[in-house]
Amino acid sequence: MTDSQLAWKNLWRNRKRTVITAASIFFAVFFALLMRSFQLGAYDRMFRNIIESYTGYLQIQHRDYFDEPIIDNSFELTPRVTEKIYSDPNVNTLVPRLESFALAADESRTQGVMVLGIDPEGEEKVTGLKSKLVKYKLTPESIAALKRSSIPDRTKKLLDVFLNESYSSEGRLMLDLNISQDDSADILPVLRRSASFRNEYLDINETDGALIGNGLSDYLKAEIGDTIVLVGQGYHGTSAAGKFVVRGIVRLPAPDIDNIIVYLPITGAQELFAAPSMVTSAVLKLVNNDDENVLQTGNNISKQLEQPLAIRTWHEMNALLINQLEADNRSGMIMIGILYLVIAFGVFGTVLMMIAERKREFGMLVSIGMRKRKLAKIVSLEMVLIGILGLAAGVVASLPFVFYGNSHPIRFTGEMGRMYSDYGFEPVMPTLLPDTYYLSQIVVVLIILLVAILFCVRKIFRINVINALRA
Amino acid sequence: MAVVQINNVYKAYHDTEVEVKAINGVTLSFEKGDFAVVVGPSGSGKTTLLNLIGGLDQPTGGEILVAGHRLSELRPSELIDFRMEHVGFVFQSYNLIPVLTAAENVSFIMNLQKWPKEKRKVRTDELLSSVGLSDRHNSRPSQLSGGQQQRVAVARALATHPEFILADEPTANLDSKSAESLLDIMEKLNHEEQMTFIFSTHDIRVMKRAHRVITLEDGKVISDELSF
Ligand SMILES: Nc1ncnc2c1ncn2[C@@H]1O[C@H](COP(=O)(O)OP(=O)(O)OP(=O)(O)O)[C@@H](O)[C@H]1O
Ligand SMILES: [Mg+2]
Repeated sequence: MTDSQLAWKNLWRNRKRTVITAASIFFAVFFALLMRSFQLGAYDRMFRNIIESYTGYLQIQHRDYFDEPIIDNSFELTPRVTEKIYSDPNVNTLVPRLESFALAADESRTQGVMVLGIDPEGEEKVTGLKSKLVKYKLTPESIAALKRSSIPDRTKKLLDVFLNESYSSEGRLMLDLNISQDDSADILPVLRRSASFRNEYLDINETDGALIGNGLSDYLKAEIGDTIVLVGQGYHGTSAAGKFVVRGIVRLPAPDIDNIIVYLPITGAQELFAAPSMVTSAVLKLVNNDDENVLQTGNNISKQLEQPLAIRTWHEMNALLINQLEADNRSGMIMIGILYLVIAFGVFGTVLMMIAERKREFGMLVSIGMRKRKLAKIVSLEMVLIGILGLAAGVVASLPFVFYGNSHPIRFTGEMGRMYSDYGFEPVMPTLLPDTYYLSQIVVVLIILLVAILFCVRKIFRINVINALRA
Repeated sequence: MAVVQINNVYKAYHDTEVEVKAINGVTLSFEKGDFAVVVGPSGSGKTTLLNLIGGLDQPTGGEILVAGHRLSELRPSELIDFRMEHVGFVFQSYNLIPVLTAAENVSFIMNLQKWPKEKRKVRTDELLSSVGLSDRHNSRPSQLSGGQQQRVAVARALATHPEFILADEPTANLDSKSAESLLDIMEKLNHEEQMTFIFSTHDIRVMKRAHRVITLEDGKVISDELSF
């Protein structure tokens, strides 16, 4: 009979208690892991969404541009710089941007706008701008055509609600018109025929082309093919003015940007602002986006950059969002803390009960010559077994859910779905695959277990055999 | 040489407001092969005396020598080892480890002493048949009667040939028939293995089975008689 055999047998002397204790640890671990997985998955997704649709993981800027984002703090993206950046094997693409402000005027209205000069093909690779082009618009004509078509009445009724609404994704359109995944095969072809929006993307060689935000297009009443005039201040105080033809309309997630955004080919923007070959930032698309790799690439490039250039990480560029999510994260941690507190009390209750119940037995064992250290070892083993059993079961049971939740993320519908779609994100909430957060949960449980064991061991070393035998 | 030598031993408890002299100047010795019972009214100090002899408790005065060990000189952890090596215990109840079978309980101390497996098995078989339980090897304590449990406890106490076996009211929870048969077995083992038994009781019938009767009153030995 080894100590571990005896411990194992002791485990099953009070089957119910062992099962309840292990089960409580199991559920705590299981739910804590799932909760973390969903929460961290949502954060991860949100960051990637924002990073991948706008800031990118790393940017190169003039060192003053971060604090004072004006065109005078732009820099020249020389082949020398480009070469250095591409020398890092983790860099896939580098896209230049020239960002500034201007007044945009159509026939009757003017509006302060944000002008973003881009490399159309590069930008598509890095932020997928093409996907934000309006693909459907429910114009009065298209609604009339749709009402005559064979689509279900349920959908027809909704059409008027969304008059003049534009869509960059079929997903959002389906949500608005309450089209289920099953019906989509029948309805989408009809929609494509009747409500498609003809749009073009920018061409780097057509320096007078422009893409404008859907909100801006509505305000200026600027349609495809219309000419808008941009007036503003150029590089180092020169005056800037130019005429541009609207080639396409994009629908951007954030309304405050959608209402003021004008994309130009970067050459056109440089011409407009009299800043030839200048850029305000260069966005890097990386091969590997893991935190570690991003950091390493950032450091690597930072070392090679010469004044006045500086590298900016997505952390710096999204500080506000990171703060918000950290606050949210804290509340999640508190929830889990409470969960574990309950479990800790449960485990301690069990331990106290167990010790009280076995006091006589412990007294007897020490009396007949079992060393307290050996007894403590056996009882600790029992607790480790229960703890590990619950912990391992919790971890194992969470895995299928976490992996499934990652490959088949929860899909939002309704308001939540709309919100996500509006932000240009796929309305899904994937779980985060096991990562360091698994480790920290495991460590927390092990710490609770350790404290309970230490408590128990202390009790055993303080056993007074005479009292224990009289108990 | 005496197995146990008790010289002018005192044990006082100060837990309560008044000091309780549970053992009040006892001098006794036990020889190998003794079959001695300690009797006396409740509170006379029987349990206290047995605990002192067994090294479960330390006297407040005097000295106790067991097999050449001066118990007061042993550190707490040494006392535990001392008990494992030299003393067999049978308690009134809760003697056995509930999750182990009768055989496993009997071999428990042999296990602590790291006897080789084969030797353990031989001794366990021998003892279980000695106490009339050769057919109950694999029974758990909960499947045994109170008397059978006490017999297993005696077998366990005896297994590693201690200097003596201490039994504080071993029959207190038994009916008279079971008590008789337990005493039969103890007497047989006393005879067969030359094992020294020191036990206490309230029961006149049990008392009559002893070969030596020590009577305590208020922590003092008032008589010490041989009775065959
Ligand atoms: N741990 C203790 N603390 C304080 N007093 C104690 C303690 N143990 C025993 N006593 C006292 O010592 C005296 C002797 O007690 P002991 O248990 O040895 O008597 P006993 O002869 O075994 O009695 P019983 O026949 O009822 O078992 C009693 O007055 C008892 O109250
Ligand atoms: Mg007593």
